[in-house]
Amino acid sequence: MYRAQDEVSLLRASLQGDTAAWGEIIGRYKDAVFGLCLGFMRNRADAEDLSHDAFIRAYVNLRKYNLERKFSTWLFTIAANLCRNKLRYRRNHPTGEMPFHLQGGTDPAKVIQKEDQHALVQQAITKLPYSYRAPLVLRFYNDLSYREISEVLSIPEGTIKTRIHRGKIMLKALIEKERDPT
Amino acid sequence: MTTDRLEDLLRSTLRAEAKAAEDRIADLEERVLLEIEERRPRLLWHEWLRQLLAPTASSRFGQLVVVGATAAIFLFVGIGISSNLLRHDDAAPKLSLQPVRFADGTQEVLFVLPALNAENVAVVGNFNSWEETALSDQDGDGIWTASIPLPPGRYEYAFLIDGRWWGQDPQADDWVQSFGQFSSVRYIGRGGEDV
Repeated sequence: MYRAQDEVSLLRASLQGDTAAWGEIIGRYKDAVFGLCLGFMRNRADAEDLSHDAFIRAYVNLRKYNLERKFSTWLFTIAANLCRNKLRYRRNHPTGEMPFHLQGGTDPAKVIQKEDQHALVQQAITKLPYSYRAPLVLRFYNDLSYREISEVLSIPEGTIKTRIHRGKIMLKALIEKERDPT
Repeated sequence: MTTDRLEDLLRSTLRAEAKAAEDRIADLEERVLLEIEERRPRLLWHEWLRQLLAPTASSRFGQLVVVGATAAIFLFVGIGISSNLLRHDDAAPKLSLQPVRFADGTQEVLFVLPALNAENVAVVGNFNSWEETALSDQDGDGIWTASIPLPPGRYEYAFLIDGRWWGQDPQADDWVQSFGQFSSVRYIGRGGEDV
């Protein structure tokens, strides 16, 4: 019913209390928000919970959204802030365990045999510091521009460019180290 | 490895790992809309209060009438409940795990943890943005409690006993493990055991 309508119409309908319209918005953005949360958190359960929380928080705060702004950037900012807060909490309450591991994602045997490039890259992304991982995820999963990444993470655009450049160098080094540990 | 190759690999890896876990968000729309519906009375209340404060005399008059009538009903019911509680006070258990329910589905959820030698016990969870809410042990018997009103939903939480993480609450509906540590889960209202 809403397929033919544009996003602003859906958002206006959502503001009027039309939850079906908000359901359509969720359907359009849930993959992007979930992928963002998964990339940031490196944990499927957290990504699921935070995606859910992001759409609830966005709906509750929809009145604060300026229709002149790009909706996806606003939504990603909410999701990124939720991820950052949860990671910050985890950092302040260390458990002595490995801080990140992707549950059920990789087969260690394949990593050892250097057969699964995705597994190698997944492990390398997980080892990247959050400050480098987050811009890379927004750039290469969410396809955001430097300016949009800067807006989502509240970091100057120049810093984003630097972090993406350095992040790629670090990632390459980590992949090569995983591929050839000697 | 060239930069282009690295970027392609990064892009395809991020997409593949999200794709591999997409079953986790298959019914996200339903879950979010259900929670919104369950929260709706409170959302509408906020909207209603905003209109009440708005400078529209006609709408305010009608709402003031409703406020007066509602207050009278609450006063009447409140007196009835108070007298009933006083009458049965001796028979009531001092510590009950049965949550107090409100009309909008919110429940007064009691968190209880025995920790005999603890100096501080707190609960953290997604209901308090993982910020500590202290439990109290006023009679010094080592049973720490906190009562927190929670609207219907799924809540993940853990206790902090003198700062140490304790994620396996025996009273929880479920336990989940992430980052190598356990957290407890409670379901309040629809979607949980109270349905």
